[in-house]
Amino acid sequence: MNKKFSIVIIVFSLLLIIWLGMGVGDNELPYVTIDELSEDYSNKPGKRFRIGGIVYQGSVIVDEKDPLLTNFILEQEKKFMKVSYHQILPDMFKDGSEVIVEGIFDGEVFFADNLMTKCASKYEGDLRDAAQGSEKI
Amino acid sequence: MPIFGDLTLSISLGLSLITIVLSIIYIVTKDKRFFFTSERTILSVCFLVFLSTFSLFSSLLNSDFNVDYVARYSSIETPIIYKFTAIWAGQSGSLLFWLFILSGYVALVVIQNKNKHQKLMPFVIITLSSIQLFFLILVNFVANPFIPAEANFVIENGLGLNPLLQNPTMAIHPPILYLGYVGFSVPFAFAIAALCSKELNTSWLQTIRRWTLFTWLALGIGILLGGWWAYNELGWGGYWAWDPVENASLMPWLTATAFIHSIIIQEKKNMLKMWNMILILITFTLCIFGTFLTRSGIVSSVHSFTASSLGPIFLAFVFLILFVCIYLLITRSKYLKSEKKLESFASRESGFLFNNVIFVSICFAVFWGTMFPVFSEAFTGSQITVGPPFFNQIIIPISLILLFLSGIGPLLAWRKTSKESLVRNFSIPSILGLVVVLIGILMGLIGLYPIITTFLCAFVFFTIVIEFWRGIKVRNNKYNENIMIALLNMINKNRSRYGGYIVHLGIVIMFIGFIGKAFDIEKESSLRIGESIFLSNYKITLLNLRESERPNHYAWIADLEVEKDGKIISTLVPEKRVYFHKNETPDRRQPHSELSIFSTWREDIYSIFGGIDTEKDLLSIKIMINRLVKLVWLGGYFVLFGTVIALWPKKSLKRI
Repeated sequence: MNKKFSIVIIVFSLLLIIWLGMGVGDNELPYVTIDELSEDYSNKPGKRFRIGGIVYQGSVIVDEKDPLLTNFILEQEKKFMKVSYHQILPDMFKDGSEVIVEGIFDGEVFFADNLMTKCASKYEGDLRDAAQGSEKI
Repeated sequence: MPIFGDLTLSISLGLSLITIVLSIIYIVTKDKRFFFTSERTILSVCFLVFLSTFSLFSSLLNSDFNVDYVARYSSIETPIIYKFTAIWAGQSGSLLFWLFILSGYVALVVIQNKNKHQKLMPFVIITLSSIQLFFLILVNFVANPFIPAEANFVIENGLGLNPLLQNPTMAIHPPILYLGYVGFSVPFAFAIAALCSKELNTSWLQTIRRWTLFTWLALGIGILLGGWWAYNELGWGGYWAWDPVENASLMPWLTATAFIHSIIIQEKKNMLKMWNMILILITFTLCIFGTFLTRSGIVSSVHSFTASSLGPIFLAFVFLILFVCIYLLITRSKYLKSEKKLESFASRESGFLFNNVIFVSICFAVFWGTMFPVFSEAFTGSQITVGPPFFNQIIIPISLILLFLSGIGPLLAWRKTSKESLVRNFSIPSILGLVVVLIGILMGLIGLYPIITTFLCAFVFFTIVIEFWRGIKVRNNKYNENIMIALLNMINKNRSRYGGYIVHLGIVIMFIGFIGKAFDIEKESSLRIGESIFLSNYKITLLNLRESERPNHYAWIADLEVEKDGKIISTLVPEKRVYFHKNETPDRRQPHSELSIFSTWREDIYSIFGGIDTEKDLLSIKIMINRLVKLVWLGGYFVLFGTVIALWPKKSLKRI
């Protein structure tokens, strides 16, 4: 009987591995740089990517007619990319904040459907900020 | 005070080393005096760690900003309760807090087992001391919470606690989660001790059964509270995001759940010794691995502390634990062989075994998805993440098999179940399950997974109800007790079994809550005063936009009126707050959306203040209708209640 059990468990494990492989294939989201994105997007139109960078100072424009539509420029080591995001922005989103966006690229604009801000580290700020008012050296 | 805290930490480091040495000497020489001394030194370590934690707390309470940690995580305005919770808000403080809880457990174990388990205890003490030593090294040399603030200026006020953490749930979520994480040290220590001393009968298992159950409960409740906090505070409208750090806490919970099921077989049938050993060792390793994931910043997550030098140290510790475990398992493998074999697929033993296989599979799938970015980067050079859709696609079907198993488990007999009894026991719950699905479909239930889940939930629910009913009927016939008394006596006579069923009921209720997720709807919109949004059968109107200045923040408030089928049922008041609004550096001002939720059993109306255009008086808002979310929390209460029943101590025989 124990042999039969082993066989069942081995078969189950194999199925699990195949199942996991399929899951990865369906949902993979490559984390790319702006350079890689420009090369990769043309091979697979409509494929989703994930990309991180800094919101370029002064580039955030909220649409005149639709306040939910935000356009900004993402900077990644002196490379720039236009990003368009049509949802409510996270609280920590602002000029100069570090963000990760997920979405599709059409060669010119990155249409993000998910935008995450890296905030935790920002919070653990410089103690100097706490010294407001007192003498700074 | 900080010097005192620092000093106690250094002394405990030394004492902890001495404890390990003394225990080893005892094992070699068998001279009892060394063992008694080691018991005292380990208790002293615990006491000193308590003193050290209180010293940090007192610095926080007195706003002693000369301490770097205090200046970073509290400020004069921080309310007292959150000065207390600031202990675990940052890296070094939370490590001290880990150590604090560990020391509490250690003291309890040593006192509880005085003069008991004489062969196991020296090894238990060595193992627990080594874990303490590891954390003591961290808080002494790598992340010391008592280091003075490095500032050549006067710090008049601290930076303050992150407003997201200033929430009552956040005051209890981390400690409860830690009670779970840290608590697995004890079963782990006993497992290692059993392996080292070759005392591998079931006595060590019986000692840790309650520990494991308590720890399992704490971890589960901790995870659930985290979800509750995310739902009520973070504003993305969900309670689970498959975030790496959430996964890190889920993995040990899964293997621990497998463990508390499979030890039943070892206790009753003396089987699966090796397997149980592996499960508990893996569970603890996953706890440390989870801490590693949180601290190292190796995978990006909302929870992560700042990336730090702690990652490699934790990883080294994980590998050390793995090495020790594997070495012990291999050298002791001949003592871990089971005498008995499985007799049939349709037996309770094999039911438990499959349950274990599934739990471990889910755990592996979670591990795979969480670590995929790391693996893909290591092997292909480019980082590929998989995200929540992967987890939902993979894990929903596997967990449905598990749900099914929790339904048939009680129907299976030990050793072998006859076909007739299977058919007899299966038919009623299955038919009732189908009836529920039909009613559901008539009421608008749609989609493959929701329908299957509904069927399984009903199926499991009815098997449990029938199980209770049978027990009651037996007592009713035998002792002529009325239904209520029979129910209470029945539960009382077999607490772990019926407590377990109540936990299963809780899980079923949670799964019904999960079905609701498939029917959530949401809408984002911008509104002027007087305008409305229509969503499902709700009409939500913006009545007013207000501003208000409060002691520690500035707030914009939207007054929303909720109408259902023409009747006003509630008002929602989501806010956008700016904390530290008086700070001169705009970067330090921190915006925060305060949600407003109207909750019913059927659905929650969830409103998020997106933003405001003060020139045009235009509000951007997101409204979500989240179905059946309350059932997820209700299920949690059932799990808590059932586990407490199972844990409740039996009346001691002496008193009778």
